[in-house]
Amino acid sequence: MLQILIQGLLLSGLYALIAMGFMLIFSIGRVLNLAYGAYLMVGGYTYFWVSQSLGMPKLAGVVVAAAVGVLMGVLKYSLIVRTLRRNHVAVEIATLMLAVVAQAGIVLVFGDSSKVLLPIVPGVLNVAGASVTCNILVAMIISWAILLGLYVCVRQTHTGRAMQAVSMDAKGAAISGIDPDRINLITWGISGALGAIGGVFFASYTQLSPSMWVAPLIISIAVVIVGGIGSIIGTLVVAHIVGFLEVIVVAELAPELRGVFTMLLIICVLASRPQGLFGREELH
Amino acid sequence: MIKTALLSGTCFALMASVAGAGIKVGFIGSMSSDTGLSTLRGAEIAIEELNADGGVMGEQITLVSADTGQDPTEGVRAYEYLAETEEVDFIISGSIDDVSLGWLPRMQEYRIPTLDTWTSYIGIIDMVVEDPESMTPYFMNIASDEALATLYINFGADVLKKKMGWDSVVILAEDTAFGEAITGLVTEALAPVAGIEVKEIITYDVATVDFAPIFGRAQDTEADFIYQVSSVNSQVVSSQYVKLQVPMAMTGVNVSALGMEYWEDTGGAGGGISTLSPVPSIGFKLDPVSQEFVDAYQAKYDSRPLLPHFNGFNAYHGLKQAMAAAEEAGGFDNVEAWAEAMQRQDLVLDLDGQLWLRYAFWGDDEVEPVTMRTYPHNARFDLSEPFDDAQPSMVVVQWYEDGTAAVVYPDKYATGEFTLPSWVSK
Repeated sequence: MLQILIQGLLLSGLYALIAMGFMLIFSIGRVLNLAYGAYLMVGGYTYFWVSQSLGMPKLAGVVVAAAVGVLMGVLKYSLIVRTLRRNHVAVEIATLMLAVVAQAGIVLVFGDSSKVLLPIVPGVLNVAGASVTCNILVAMIISWAILLGLYVCVRQTHTGRAMQAVSMDAKGAAISGIDPDRINLITWGISGALGAIGGVFFASYTQLSPSMWVAPLIISIAVVIVGGIGSIIGTLVVAHIVGFLEVIVVAELAPELRGVFTMLLIICVLASRPQGLFGREELH
Repeated sequence: MIKTALLSGTCFALMASVAGAGIKVGFIGSMSSDTGLSTLRGAEIAIEELNADGGVMGEQITLVSADTGQDPTEGVRAYEYLAETEEVDFIISGSIDDVSLGWLPRMQEYRIPTLDTWTSYIGIIDMVVEDPESMTPYFMNIASDEALATLYINFGADVLKKKMGWDSVVILAEDTAFGEAITGLVTEALAPVAGIEVKEIITYDVATVDFAPIFGRAQDTEADFIYQVSSVNSQVVSSQYVKLQVPMAMTGVNVSALGMEYWEDTGGAGGGISTLSPVPSIGFKLDPVSQEFVDAYQAKYDSRPLLPHFNGFNAYHGLKQAMAAAEEAGGFDNVEAWAEAMQRQDLVLDLDGQLWLRYAFWGDDEVEPVTMRTYPHNARFDLSEPFDDAQPSMVVVQWYEDGTAAVVYPDKYATGEFTLPSWVSK
């Protein structure tokens, strides 16, 4: 039981980190960014290239990955989302196609075979009989720190409050002197960075492969749909529900059913509470 | 599926080196996997050498390729392309089990002589037994998975039980046809033959990337060791085993550990893993002829796989045997005559004055003495010491924590000892 608790906490922290950037875009830009998984994939591969192939310090790898994530987010917003903003379906299709293109690019540059990323923080702890890698422990701590920082930022800073305003009503925000375009650009940049950092930890916990963008995208969609639009706390809570659900299913039922209960949860929530468990109109 | 869609754009990449008439060989397999490339390159080198010696029946050989992307549907299209568009005389395959099963009906329809160098699925040999007429063009020059598993049980008895003193095992198997087949064979035989009790079989999806809860569940069984069966996504399970320092020994089938790139692919997090491997494997002492092939291979290619996988050797020797059979049969058109000649091919490779490798096939009615069954059109193998009829159906290979690899079983072929990872006490 203690093993499940520990593994559930660790996995949930990672899931919260992964889903946060997706939630931001969905809440503020109202865009289902189906290329979000590509941020994670590119972030992971960038870190691999910088720190493992070039042999540069790990921190430099994380920073470069985050920078590449910001660049991707900003470019995607500027070149695709802004251009197609009146057509949500076109935006979603375009983002999905972009992920496929990114995957092809990764195959071209790094090849089709999977690669294992070394832990960013090496070492293993034995906690109550469960093997806990320092890497995922740090990922969980970073995840909580980012969530806390984001929560404070949204509530306390001018930009954060502007993000809240845009998430509630972009036109109203514009009348109040806020530039929704600038806020969206910042949000896409932050989302890209969060995705890339999440990708580094996700890949170091699992593996790098050109198809690795799909699983985190599904996790993100699940967390945001179940949690509801605009809720940082909801994202955190639902990431834990999904994480624990998966660990319990694997440990107590059957590993093949790992993702099935998450899908059932999405269907149940959509059917009974379409706005999500914690959904609100504005970012909070 | 997305990967497949992407690859389909480049599917059927043409690699004809010489245009015009002559003997046309088709390669079918994944051109982005190490195993697929091993077969392709083995065939390329064999063709170059044959052409340099004047070709076959006075004709030069050309090679065309069709990429399967490791997808059964693409595999069917690839076979059709080779048969209908390229009108090849002979096909050499580096396909995985599911892909071969996909295009087999096409082979039966087109009746093109075909040699499989990678798939080891016993079900295909069973098809030869049950329907020899329609399977006449088919040959598999790797020992079937049943033969691999049978010898692995001896490893269980000789090493895992006798030397290590282990009594129980928990099996972690990917949810694939290969995983199911190997798991079934091992489960049936481990307890009665090796005296090792199977405590639990944990099957997981091939897309699994988080093994922490699965290893936790394996530990809960209190078995002495883990037996993994992983052919699709095998480096993630082994690297997480190392990263998590799971306090149980783990052996079994790990396809990613069959190549020299394993160490690089796992970022060095692959020490302690052992796997059964068809021969020749990494860490395997090579006879002079096979060594010459490796030298030619490494002089020609500087990209991965840097050392051909076992199927690269199978392709190199097998293609030459297929051409020799064609010379005997007057070409490939008379499939029955070609198949009879192919079945007579017998290449014995010695090392230090003893039989080391043998590329030959079982006779139609020849009964293998250990399993007491026939293996028509399957590569000849030997399941008993001193392996004087053929090479063993498999060897066990282990990667050590310093990044080196060695054959640890059977003794005749061993270049190292089976050892536990440093973090495992028993």
